[in-house]
Amino acid sequence: MNAWTVILAAGLGSFLFRLSMIVLFGRITMPASLQRAPEFVAPAAFAAMAAAGVATVCLGLGVTRAAAPLVAVAVAIIAVLRTGSPQAAILAGMPALWVATALLPS
Amino acid sequence: MISLRANRGDVAGGARAMAPWLAGIVPFGLVIGVSAAHADVPALAGWLTGPLIYAGSAQLAAIGMLGTGAAPMAVVAVALIINVRLIFYSATMARYWRGTPWWWRLVAGYLLVDPSVAVGLEGYRRLGRGRGHAHYLGGAVLLWVCWLTAIGVGAAAGARLPAWLQLEFVIPLYLVGQAVSKLADPALRRAILVAGGVALLALTAPLQLGIALGIAAGVVAGLTARPAGPARSIHPLQPSPEAPR
Repeated sequence: MNAWTVILAAGLGSFLFRLSMIVLFGRITMPASLQRAPEFVAPAAFAAMAAAGVATVCLGLGVTRAAAPLVAVAVAIIAVLRTGSPQAAILAGMPALWVATALLPS
Repeated sequence: MISLRANRGDVAGGARAMAPWLAGIVPFGLVIGVSAAHADVPALAGWLTGPLIYAGSAQLAAIGMLGTGAAPMAVVAVALIINVRLIFYSATMARYWRGTPWWWRLVAGYLLVDPSVAVGLEGYRRLGRGRGHAHYLGGAVLLWVCWLTAIGVGAAAGARLPAWLQLEFVIPLYLVGQAVSKLADPALRRAILVAGGVALLALTAPLQLGIALGIAAGVVAGLTARPAGPARSIHPLQPSPEAPR
């Protein structure tokens, strides 16, 4: 399975999700517990992918060179907590990454 | 009866209602395009996540995981877990689309994503079913065009930007921003911290299943943190920079 078939499979599955209840309307009822789950899926997915993504980047760079991305993540977290805006992570984190990469030993 | 020609004003009204969403959606599309250009994925395949998956978070996950060499089945699984919410959107809109022609249900269903549901629901409540169809389509088609254009522009521009910009780090920072901005809610905070922690602990799990494990653990943690009661709305009725997730 290459990138093309992965994207095709994910796309087909997503399309079936979209059509599912339109086609099955009135025939099935979703359990109450399942109806509450989607609220948590996106935040949990963001957190899991962020943690794994940052860790993978840092492990790939080694101990000394990992300092710059870690500084960028720290600056991004502080910026989001101070502003409440998710976009602040990129707006503050990327410049922090460039400055830290230039200043910190590699 | 679906008559878009007779309801041109409602098509335009739906497009106008979608306009505020675009302020958040276009930058997100640009980020996905830039990320696709810098990931180890064919450029066209990266762009095709737009029309095929058509949901930003799942597209980011697919591009990011493919770029790090994750197992194909793990990528598909994570993308579909993220998109489970589409089933609930489908259930929400089904009552308005009951008895409509199949072509309409296929087209309208394909365009189903967070902002189109929000704009569509507002139209159905205000205008009723007949005119609501035109309102939904006006907003949903504008969203689709702008989303795919933004990804294309981001991919084209991203491929020409220098390596020192380290744009591959845009995805992790975007995800950090999305997660941290939701920490104020106690149940979401628990879901986020558990998901991130489990994903880190399972970093060496085979097939990159750590991310799927983290999501599952986070959802369970969130569900146990929030007492059972009336389900909170999963439809973002106010414009948000996250959409289309």
